[in-house]
Amino acid sequence: MRIDYKISDKFDFKIFIPVLILNIIGLAAIYSATLNNPQAAGNFEKQLLFTVLGYIGFFITYALPTNTIKFISIPTYLLSLLFLVVVLVIGKKVSGAKSWLGLGSFGFQPSEFAKIGTILLLANFLTRLNNNIDSFKDILIALAIGFVPIGLILLEPDMGTSIIFFSFILIVLFWKGISLLGLFVVLSPGFVAVASLFGSIPFIASLIIVLVVLFFFKRDLFFNGSVFAINLAAGFFTDNLYNALSPHQQARIKSFIDPMSDPLGSGYNSIQAMVAIGSGGIFGKGYLQGNQTQLQYIPEQWTDFIYCAIGEEFGFIGAMLVLSLFLIIFLRLLNIASSTKDEFLSLVIIGIFGVYFTHFLINVGMVIGILPIIGVPLPFVSYGGSSFLLNMFMLGIVLNIYRTRKNYA
Amino acid sequence: MNAVNFASVNRKTILYSIIILIFAVFSVRLFQMQIINHEAYDEKSAGNSIKPIEQIPLRGVFYDRNMNVLVDNIPAYTLRITPADYDTSLNKVLDKVLGVNSGYVASILKRNQIYSKYIPIRIRRGIDFSVVSWLEENSEFLPGVDYIVEMQRGYPYGVMGSHLFGYTKEISSQQLEKEKDYYRPGDYVGHNGIEKQYEKDLRGEKGFHYVLVDSRRREIGRYKDGANDKESIKGRDLVLSIDGDVQKVAEEELRGKRGAVVAIEPSTGEILALVSAPEYDLNQFSYITSKDFLQELYSDPDKPLFNRATMSLKPPGSTFKVLAAIAALDLGLIDVNTTIYCGGGFTFGRFFKCHGSHGSVNVVHAIEKSCNTFFYNLIYKIGLEKWKEYAAKFGFNQKTGIDIGEEAAGFIPDESYYKKLYGDNWPRSIMASLGIGQGEVSVTPLQLAKYVALIANDGKSFAPHIVKGYLDNKTGEIVPFRFDEINLKIKKEVFDIVKQGMFLVVQGSGTATHLRNPDYHISGKTGTAQNPHGKDHAFFIGFAPSENPKIAVAVVVENVGFGGTHAAPIAKKMMDAYLLKDKLKNQKQKVEQPVIAGAQIED
Repeated sequence: MRIDYKISDKFDFKIFIPVLILNIIGLAAIYSATLNNPQAAGNFEKQLLFTVLGYIGFFITYALPTNTIKFISIPTYLLSLLFLVVVLVIGKKVSGAKSWLGLGSFGFQPSEFAKIGTILLLANFLTRLNNNIDSFKDILIALAIGFVPIGLILLEPDMGTSIIFFSFILIVLFWKGISLLGLFVVLSPGFVAVASLFGSIPFIASLIIVLVVLFFFKRDLFFNGSVFAINLAAGFFTDNLYNALSPHQQARIKSFIDPMSDPLGSGYNSIQAMVAIGSGGIFGKGYLQGNQTQLQYIPEQWTDFIYCAIGEEFGFIGAMLVLSLFLIIFLRLLNIASSTKDEFLSLVIIGIFGVYFTHFLINVGMVIGILPIIGVPLPFVSYGGSSFLLNMFMLGIVLNIYRTRKNYA
Repeated sequence: MNAVNFASVNRKTILYSIIILIFAVFSVRLFQMQIINHEAYDEKSAGNSIKPIEQIPLRGVFYDRNMNVLVDNIPAYTLRITPADYDTSLNKVLDKVLGVNSGYVASILKRNQIYSKYIPIRIRRGIDFSVVSWLEENSEFLPGVDYIVEMQRGYPYGVMGSHLFGYTKEISSQQLEKEKDYYRPGDYVGHNGIEKQYEKDLRGEKGFHYVLVDSRRREIGRYKDGANDKESIKGRDLVLSIDGDVQKVAEEELRGKRGAVVAIEPSTGEILALVSAPEYDLNQFSYITSKDFLQELYSDPDKPLFNRATMSLKPPGSTFKVLAAIAALDLGLIDVNTTIYCGGGFTFGRFFKCHGSHGSVNVVHAIEKSCNTFFYNLIYKIGLEKWKEYAAKFGFNQKTGIDIGEEAAGFIPDESYYKKLYGDNWPRSIMASLGIGQGEVSVTPLQLAKYVALIANDGKSFAPHIVKGYLDNKTGEIVPFRFDEINLKIKKEVFDIVKQGMFLVVQGSGTATHLRNPDYHISGKTGTAQNPHGKDHAFFIGFAPSENPKIAVAVVVENVGFGGTHAAPIAKKMMDAYLLKDKLKNQKQKVEQPVIAGAQIED
């Protein structure tokens, strides 16, 4: 009893066990999704290897002195920027984006690595501020830390990862205590940008809303002017960015705005994903029995669309199990973050939560047809070495902090 | 650490709420998709991946009355292109290999652009075996090009039967619209003749094989190992009343001429042969019909597509004298002893010529000599209305209802017709010509054949027909089709008298004595119909053996002259082929090996 107590005190099974289960479900689903696809032959074995490596990385990270996390924040950030630049020069193009660095027969995605770098530096910077980040300057610096990697990633171009970065940075700022105005300053350009995609009338309408809100906050003219200028710029920038996107990405955005505009083109994935899940029913069609999955209706279903395979073959029960496991992990992360008294470590945990949560939100949201098709993997479940290794590394950090949480009490 | 808002309970609660909210939204959405709308998605999913593949059944074959195969199915190779995998730069090569005009392949591909590019398009049917081996050798350089074996019609007995059999061709969009529950675009459907009339018997029942396909519609395997598959059912094999040998002889005899013959078994109404000349080659329709071929057929001044046997209308000439004789005898207006004096003609308003001076003739000799004077007189005794009534009894002025579609009804005038034309005081002299089958009367060769068959069988028969029945798949027995019985209710003595005359036409000193032969007796009547546009049309109707008629024949040859000379010998050849079958076979075998015409299967 004593020993048991001690182990659970140093090691958070409430997160580890759900992750382990998700991992097993993921492996089973990857096996099923790649079974009949020659293009994906060997992916299951690769993922098994990554799993082993991931758990090794996890335990090493778990065992490191907690101080290390803070020490490595600046070098990690700089290193990740370096990788992001290198990948733009010598990167491998995979499905239209230069996001891969070849390492022998394995590929590596610098943008994955950059997530932890950005979280660490952002947490580091925010911890140095004594007060809430209410000043315009602080917000700008915080945004700059995030926007440098986002900019580089957009150049690849990798829309999905950029959105993830933007979202988890937002969550970190929120945790730090950004004011409503600050939140508004950060969010409004995104709001205007999305509105501009729908055409000029929604764009103008969104700008009017921004003006009205600014008036409500009763700040000086310079502040209002700057914020409005940023919003205006965001709108035009989006327009240019949209034109710079590859046709298949444009089509994805178009098909989100009007999903039935092209049911056989970019809407195809979304429709087939929904058919896969919906046809699963309560108990699913049985493992390895899903025709959508086994007949390869969904391209690359072992990565971003792995949830379809689960929904089809394990049905509502399986799909809800995965949701519930994530729910446990998220609530637990939130609890650990709020019980960690060290502000830096707490921000790091909330950043990691942000990465997991936004991936989950976008991935599941897209396969069940309530968000546009944005290619991001489902943490611990999807096929992919870089993302799995990073997720396990981040989990290592969380449990590391949990292990030593009493030292900061 | 005096951050007021950092990690505040408030902010934790907000994040908590967002997580719970999203969890709730996702759960509701999954519930809605997987439980409430499950069936709709399931249907879509099944439709996605299970593809029914039509199994086209074999078309029923045609047997003749002696169970010789007249029309069957032979395998032929069809070149196909699947546009999704195809490289259009190959068009020129394929044009060359197929030996077609350049641009042929491109034009067919263009015509089919509206369909899915994953569905193979038939480019050409009936390609040569040399093309098939070329395809095999070069398959790796020909992405999206393949061939399949399909069945097409073959005519192994060497009988053309163009107007009889008809042909099959790709279904028209209009017909498809009407019968879309059975047919699909590209299906072959009977066109003309028996192929059309008995389409529902011949086509069989389509089967379906269910296969699994992936997202690119490639076949991956059978669905449930074929548990739900439905095999196609072969179409019914039809047994025709046609006698292949008689038909063949008739076709040979009419080659190079324009005209028609119809032979009927008198006791049953079964048609033994039906030919309209000129004919056309049905084999040409087995392939994708070339426009040139059709154009040629349409523009031919001899109108080969026109079925003269059932559609051409002409005055029947002297062959119609027998009708007048029957009417007069049956009505009791004359008897066998009644004589009429022929001094070389007949005067009624004007002078009507006979082709000789026959003196006093009774009805038997009037038929034998084809005496015009006798029948000029007779028609006035009978009267137009009664005469028409008897014509109608024999089926003139109406369609016979033969089971190969199109036919003409012909025309028999009556008083009201002439009243309409000339008023109440219409010139009665018009009637004289009708008595000898000239003037406004018009009949089809088929009607004449029915007429002579009824005479041969003393007024009793069945509606003329070509298909006896179909073969039961299990028992192999013939399941007969039913046809209307005909009974004219005319006294047998009447027929005895006219048949005596017809007997003498050949066996006495009549107009077709050259048909006399040592093997059997022929009875008949020649006819020559005046043709204002050229030479006369030659007619002959007859039956044999005279004592116990087994075959009745009507022959019409256009623009050749006298019936006894040009039409009667054809009838004789057909009767020989039918009645002396064994004797002729033995003779033939001594002379030559039988030639099997038509396409053969090399296997």
